[in-house]
Amino acid sequence: MSKRLAIILLTAPALIVLLGVFIIPMLMMFLLSFQNDQQSFTLENYALFFQDTFYLEILGRTIRVSLWTVLATLVLGYPVAMFMSKATGRMRGIVTMCILAPHLISVVIRNFGWVVVLGESGWINKTLMALGIIDEPLRLLYNELGIVIGLTDAFIAYMVLAIATSLYSIDPSLHKAASILGASRIRTFFSVTLPLSLPGIVAGTTLVFSLSMSSFVTPQLMGGTSVKVIPVLAYEQIMSTLNWPLGSALAFLLLGSTILLVTLYTKLIENKRYKEVFSS
Amino acid sequence: MRISLLGVITFLVIVLVNLPFLIIIPSSFTAAGYLAFPPEGFSTKWYAMILDRPEFIDSFWTSIELAVLTAVIATLLGTLAAFALHKYRFPGSGVINSLLLSPLTVPTLIIGIAALLFFTRIGIAGTFAGLLLSHILISIPYVVRLVLTGLSSFDYTLEKAGYMLGASPFRVFWDITLPLLRPAIISGMIFSFLTSFDNVTVSLFLVAPDTTTLPLAIFSYMQEVLDPLVASISSVVILLSLVFIVLLEKVYGLERLFGLNSQSH
Repeated sequence: MSKRLAIILLTAPALIVLLGVFIIPMLMMFLLSFQNDQQSFTLENYALFFQDTFYLEILGRTIRVSLWTVLATLVLGYPVAMFMSKATGRMRGIVTMCILAPHLISVVIRNFGWVVVLGESGWINKTLMALGIIDEPLRLLYNELGIVIGLTDAFIAYMVLAIATSLYSIDPSLHKAASILGASRIRTFFSVTLPLSLPGIVAGTTLVFSLSMSSFVTPQLMGGTSVKVIPVLAYEQIMSTLNWPLGSALAFLLLGSTILLVTLYTKLIENKRYKEVFSS
Repeated sequence: MRISLLGVITFLVIVLVNLPFLIIIPSSFTAAGYLAFPPEGFSTKWYAMILDRPEFIDSFWTSIELAVLTAVIATLLGTLAAFALHKYRFPGSGVINSLLLSPLTVPTLIIGIAALLFFTRIGIAGTFAGLLLSHILISIPYVVRLVLTGLSSFDYTLEKAGYMLGASPFRVFWDITLPLLRPAIISGMIFSFLTSFDNVTVSLFLVAPDTTTLPLAIFSYMQEVLDPLVASISSVVILLSLVFIVLLEKVYGLERLFGLNSQSH
């Protein structure tokens, strides 16, 4: 069997699936987003987005919710990653398992658990009211806060993994050197650990931001019907309103704005003070 | 170990990410007719109730069938492609490699919408085949990546030795190559199974009106009613997923699976 034939036979099945289920459909969807009802070319699906403040407001909310999620996963995830990088093999294994295992269980189920915890008569509200701390139940669900809580739970594992990977690669003798030179632990953290873990932070924040921007299930289940984000809107246009061109345009606008924001962000950080960390 | 601030925060985060399960499982044993935590009384009636719900039983079997077929086919296709990419470095192999991984870079929501549009055009929207194809697509990148990682430490001289001793190409593949790649292939299979079994966002656009998958059935049901039935079904799914997660940990290790370099063990 010739080498070329072998290559074709081995890669063709996967490439055919890729072509038929991904590449051709994506191209078709892209073309469709420039169509009107008469099936002729138009930009109105995209123009509508910038004319009607309704869409811009929802994009604003999508970005806001994603940024809060990034912040929450970073603040909660960084200490976990640090703990993992300092822990011994066995302890590290246990923590990794406890953080990663839930990640492999359906997000629908995790969201359901949070709905039970956060609802008006949920566990948190009942406990706080029984203790007399609050009189009225807190609104923790079916608003932006609810979405952020759900997304933070869904994506924190990615943040922990990204930061832990960069922390693991820091040479431990640097910490020793810093302490010999008389740096306090806080000083060492801000001058050694934090700057060197910046690539991990950038990777983690970028990933969590992109995933949050495009997530549909959590906003649908924990945001309720009135607090919509772009993916929910796109879903409704596709499945309920059956306006496929507009739904497709919304999806591409979401993808485009995510890529734009992520690119701006990474350019901004990499050009600034920590150039040397990224060039290494 | 000394109790540190980092340790306390880590413990809290672990509790947080596991809280949904710590709430759901006890709630499923409630004797009351409504969801409550802590549960009131003890009863297994909400598990018996599942059996009276054909939509959940049927969707469970649909999900299993879908996940098994996805796991087998995606693993086969992904392994073959990864194998070609690694063994024969040819012009364009870099392009094919990034093409095969490209579905990972596009949100699954968009993959779902695109597949719906195209499948409607060619007449397989709302069929099991269409659903299966889309699940295979989103699983292939994981398999390719896992098998390529497995191959990176593969010693081709072992294959050469097999040929020199007179084994046929098939025999070499079956007795030498495959066993060495087994951990990567099996974990690719389990990971594909879980990817398919958990998926909502792609399935949402592609299921037929009368057949649905289990996560989708739960997703739809809990937007209408929130009762202990959701808790009991979810508990079943959690248990089943746990079995596969433990398998994955045993066969491959979760740390390695998620690309955490654990050289300092």
